[in-house]
Amino acid sequence: MATGGIGQRIFLAMIAAAAAGGCGGGGGDEQWIIGYSQCNRGEPWREQMDADVQAAAKKHAEIELIMKDAQNEAFQQIAHVKEFVSQGVDAIIISPKDTSLTPAVAEAHQAGIPVIVLDRAVEGDQFACFIGADNKKIGAEVGKWVVAKLGGKGKVVEMKGLSSSPPAIDRSAPFRAALAGTEIEIAYEADMEWLGPLAREKMLAALDRNPEPGSIQLVYGANDPAAIAAYWAAVDKGREDEILFVGVDALPHEGLEAVRNGYLDATFEYPNGAALGIETALKILAGEEVLKHIVLGTRLYTPENVESGGVPLD
Amino acid sequence: MTAALARLSGIGKIFSGHAVLEDVDFELRAGEVHVLAGENGAGKSTLIKILGGVHAADAGEVVVGGIPRRFRSVQEAARAGVAVIHQELSLAPALSVEDNLFLGRERRGFLGVVSARAQRRAARALLQRVGLAVDPRVAVGALPVAARQLVEIAKALGQDARVIAMDEPTSSLARTEAERLFALIEELKRGGAGIVYITHRMEEIYRLADRISVLRDGRMILTRPAGELDRATLVRAMVGRPLDEQIHREPVPPGAEVLAADAVTVRGRTGLLLAGVGFALRAGEVLGVAGLAGSGSSDLLHALFGDRRAEFRGLRIGGRPAQVRSPREAMGRGIALLTADRKRSGLCLSLSVAENATLAALPQLSPGGIRRPRREAAAAARGVTALRIRCRSAAQTVRTLSGGNQQKVAFAKWIETRPRVLLLDEPTRGIDVGAKHEVYDLINRWTAEGMGILLVSSELPELLGLADRVIVLHRGRLTAQLDRREATPDRVIAAALGGEDRGGTAA
Amino acid sequence: MNARPGGFSVSREVLFAFAALAVVLGLGSVFHAHGLFFKPETHALALWAVSGYGILACGMTVVIVTAGIDLSVGSLVALAGIVFAMGTMNAEWPGWIAVPAAVLVGAACGLFSGTLVALLRLQPFIATLAMMAFARGMAKWLTGGVKVQKMPPPATVEALNAKLAIFGVDVSISVFLFLGCVALTASFLRALRFGRYVYAIGDNEEAARLSGVPVRLTKTLAYVLCGALAGLAGVLFAAVERQGNPDAGVGYELTAIAMVVVGGTSLMGGRGGVVLTVLGALTIGYLRKILDINGVPTPQQLMITGGIIVLAVLVQSLKTEG
Repeated sequence: MATGGIGQRIFLAMIAAAAAGGCGGGGGDEQWIIGYSQCNRGEPWREQMDADVQAAAKKHAEIELIMKDAQNEAFQQIAHVKEFVSQGVDAIIISPKDTSLTPAVAEAHQAGIPVIVLDRAVEGDQFACFIGADNKKIGAEVGKWVVAKLGGKGKVVEMKGLSSSPPAIDRSAPFRAALAGTEIEIAYEADMEWLGPLAREKMLAALDRNPEPGSIQLVYGANDPAAIAAYWAAVDKGREDEILFVGVDALPHEGLEAVRNGYLDATFEYPNGAALGIETALKILAGEEVLKHIVLGTRLYTPENVESGGVPLD
Repeated sequence: MTAALARLSGIGKIFSGHAVLEDVDFELRAGEVHVLAGENGAGKSTLIKILGGVHAADAGEVVVGGIPRRFRSVQEAARAGVAVIHQELSLAPALSVEDNLFLGRERRGFLGVVSARAQRRAARALLQRVGLAVDPRVAVGALPVAARQLVEIAKALGQDARVIAMDEPTSSLARTEAERLFALIEELKRGGAGIVYITHRMEEIYRLADRISVLRDGRMILTRPAGELDRATLVRAMVGRPLDEQIHREPVPPGAEVLAADAVTVRGRTGLLLAGVGFALRAGEVLGVAGLAGSGSSDLLHALFGDRRAEFRGLRIGGRPAQVRSPREAMGRGIALLTADRKRSGLCLSLSVAENATLAALPQLSPGGIRRPRREAAAAARGVTALRIRCRSAAQTVRTLSGGNQQKVAFAKWIETRPRVLLLDEPTRGIDVGAKHEVYDLINRWTAEGMGILLVSSELPELLGLADRVIVLHRGRLTAQLDRREATPDRVIAAALGGEDRGGTAA
Repeated sequence: MNARPGGFSVSREVLFAFAALAVVLGLGSVFHAHGLFFKPETHALALWAVSGYGILACGMTVVIVTAGIDLSVGSLVALAGIVFAMGTMNAEWPGWIAVPAAVLVGAACGLFSGTLVALLRLQPFIATLAMMAFARGMAKWLTGGVKVQKMPPPATVEALNAKLAIFGVDVSISVFLFLGCVALTASFLRALRFGRYVYAIGDNEEAARLSGVPVRLTKTLAYVLCGALAGLAGVLFAAVERQGNPDAGVGYELTAIAMVVVGGTSLMGGRGGVVLTVLGALTIGYLRKILDINGVPTPQQLMITGGIIVLAVLVQSLKTEG
C-alpha cells in the first residue's frame, strides 16, 4: 500500500502543477477547463474519487483540471464554486457536502456553465446532470447474497453506520427487508458511526454476548473498514474462521485488498461515478444530450472473482 | 452585668480521632472585648469556627441571642448576627471589593436586580469606617494583605453583626491601620456588640481586653477580667510553665563577612523598590532590617535570594564576588529565605511534615535523583525534634497543624540545607508566645554556630531585641545604620519615617 | 501501596477508590450474563481493553498532579500510531525502530507542550489544546488524511497483538505493557526526587520555587512523560486496529482524565497517584465490559458511564470532608 508520504506527494503535485502552468498548456485546438470541487478529501472513498477523476481527465489531453478540496466545510465549497464561475471555467464537476450547495450550483448553471453533480444530490433541477450510486440497491443486494450464502438460516451481526446519516439507513433497511421471512436472525447490532475502531469494540462486545463457537455465522459491516475491524476483533478472539465478513465500498486499497487477503468474504462496490462524470462533461461540451439523472449499479467482489474485476449487479 | 450575647457550654470537637476541644465553656457579653488567648494549637480558632458555623460541635451547646443554635453554615450564623473574621482570609480574590462585601447578600432593587449604585454607596461607607481608601471596584486579589484584612473586617461590619470574632486581625496590619481597627472596636463596643478577639500580641491583649480567657490543649484554663490577670500569670496559663517574657539575645563575637553588597537596586513597575541599599552581614550576627510597609525590606530579602530581578553592585558572598540570579543559585551559595506568608509561598499545605521539611534539602538527600526514604525520614525526624514540631507523626498533613507548628516546619525545611545565611521575613508572624520564644532560641543557637541572619520584622520590640545591628529603610532608601546601643525605638521609627539620614544623629 | 509515602489519609484514598471498583465488580457479579462474568477470559479481556487507555491515564496522572492537564493525548495516539504504521508498513522498519520512533514523537510533542506551559507560562489547558489541534493536523498531513494499512499486517504488528498464557488464560502483551507503565510512572512519582517535586509544584508552585525546586524542568518533564506514554498507547491502538488512522484517538483524552478523576486524583494538583488511577481505570473499564456483555445499547452505556463518574467523584469528595 503506497499511502505513505501523501503529504509529500501533494507537495510534489503542487510543484508539478505550477511548472505545468508555467509552461502553458499545449496541445489540441479546443482546450476545456473543468473545475472539480471535492467536499472532503479526508475520506478514503473520496480520496479514491479524486484519483479516479484525475485519471479520467488525463486520458483527454484537451482537459485542464482545477481541483479544490473544501475540507468538509460547506462554506468553503460554496466559495470554490463561485470562484469557478468568476474564473469562467467551461464545466464544473462537484461532489457537494450537502444541499446547502444548491444555490451556488444553480448560480453556475444559470451562468451557462454545465454542472455535473456527483454522489450527493442538490435540490431542484438547476444543474446539468446528477450521477450517484444507490445505497438502497446495495443494501438489498447484500441481503440477497447473505440469504443465499447462509441458506436462509443463521445468526448475523450488523454493524450499522452513524444512525443519523441517510446512507446508514439506506444500507440497513433493504438488507433487513431481504432477510425477512427467512430463518436468519440479527444476533447483535451496533452503531459503529462509520468508524473502524468503534466497530472493533462493538464486535468484541458481540462476541462476548455470543461466546459459544459457531454462534455467529456472518458479520455485515455497512462499510469495509467496519467489516475489516470486526475481522481483526474476531482474530484476537480466535474466532475468525467460523464467521463470514461482508462489507460495502470496495475501494482498491481497502475492501478489495481485504478480499484478496481473505479477510472479507464479500464486498459490494459503492461507485463514485468519477470517470462517467468526466465523460459526461465532455459530451455536454461537445453539444450532445445527456440524461439528467444517472444511477450507478454496484459490483460484487468475492475471493473467487476479485482478480477478474468482480461481477456487476444491475 | 450585661446579658450574654453568646454562650458556648461543654463544647467538644474531635478531628480525625484527635480531641481539639474538650468541655469548653465560653461566654460573650454585650459591649465587651473578650480576648481568647492560648498557644497555637490550643483550639482557639476551632472554637470561633464553631461559633461562626464553619464547624459543628461534636458535643455541647451553642446559644446565641438566648436561643440554642445548630449552625449548619456560615450563612446561618450570619443571619443570627455572628460574623467571624478568619485568619486565613475568606475573600474571593477575583471579585471586586464591593462584590466581596456583599457576597451572598447582594443589595437587590426592583425585580431582584442587584442595584449597583446602592451597593457601591454602601461599600464606600463601609470602607470609610475601616479607613481603607481603595476603589470598591478593584479586585481583592490586587490588594496587599493588609488591605484585604480590612476588607474582611468591613464585610463583617456590613452584616450588622452583634457577635464578632476576630482571629489575629492585626497580624498583617501596619501600626496606623491597627490603630484604626482599635478605634473601630471601641465604636462597636459602644454600639452594644460583643467581640471575641484572638491575638498573640501582649500589648494588644492588655490594651483591648475587658476579659481574658485562656485555652490550652483544647481545655479552658481560666476566664478573668483583664485587670485581675497579670502578664506573668497569663503567660503561665498559656504555656503551662513560667516563661521569660524578655527577648533574650546572646551576642556572638562577629566572624568573617558572609553576605554583603555595596548597593542593591530593585525596579518595580512604578519606580524603584530599592535604591542602592548597601549592607554587610557577618557570621554570627543578626542584622535587623527595619521599615514600614512598602519600605522595601522584604524586597531586599527576595532580591538576595535571587527571587526578584535586582542590580547588585559589589555583591559578595563569603567574602568573594558572586551573583544570585535564581533561588536555586542562592541556595547553592548557602542562602535560605523564610518567606513572610507561609501559606502562600512557604509551605505545600497538602503535603506532609516530612515532605515539606525535606523539600529544600532533597538534592542532598537523594543523590542521583533517587530518593532514599530512610535518609529522608531521619532528616524529617531531626527537624521535628530540633524545632519541637508538635505533630502526630511526620506524615501528618501540614494544613492540619497550628500556625506556630507550620512555621516551625518552614524553618525545618531550611535547616536541613545547612545555610550560612538565613533571610528571615517576619519569622514570628501569627505564632504564639511559646513558639515565638522557641524561634528566638533558635536564632541564638544558629548564630552561635556561625550563621548570619538578616531579620525583617514588623514587631519593633522583637527586632530590637534580637538584632545586633539595625539598618532602617524608608521607601527603598537606607536612612539609618545603628548598632545595638543606638537602636532605640524612637530613632528607628524616626528613620523609618524618613526623618534620619544615613548614619546621622538622633532625631 | 499508597499514592503518597506514609500517612493515614492516603490509605483512605485508596480505600475509597477500591470501593468504587468493588461496586462495579458487584454489579458484574449480579448481571453476570449467564456466568460469563465469572470466566477468567472475561477478565483477561477486560484488562486488555483497559490497557491502552490506562497507559494514557498513567501519563495524565503525572501532569494532573502538577495541577496541569494534557488534552493532546488523543491526537498523539493518532500521530504516534501513524508514525508506527508508516514505519512498519511502508518503510518496513523493524519493531525496535518503529516503536521507539513513535514513542519519541509523542515525547517530542510533550516537550513542546511542556515548554509552552513551563517556559512561556501558557495555561496547560490552552497549550495542550493547541497541541491537540497541531498533532491531529500533523497526522492528517503525513497521511494525506487517509488510513495507513497493509494486508497482511507486518510481523511487528502481530507480535504486539500476541498473547501469553498465564495459568492457562491468554493475556495480551499490551496488558503487560500497561502494568510496566504503571510500575514506571509509580516509581517516577515515588522513588525519584522528580516525583516529590511534582507533588510540591502541584500543591504550591510558588512555595516549591522558593524552596529551590526546578519548577520549569519538572513541569516540562511531566509533559514529556505524558507524551511518551501517549506515543506508546498510540502504537498499541494502531497495532490492535492493524492500521494507522489519522482519525484515531478522538476523545481518548477525556477517557484518560475520567479514569484519573474516578481514581481520586484531584484536578487541583498535589494529590493522588498512579495506583489510584489504575483503580479508576479498572472501574471504568469493567463498567464498560459489564454493560457490553449484558448487551446494553450505546446510548444507555454513555448515560450510565456519566452517572458512575459523578457518583465516584462524589464518594471521593466525602473523604476530604471528614
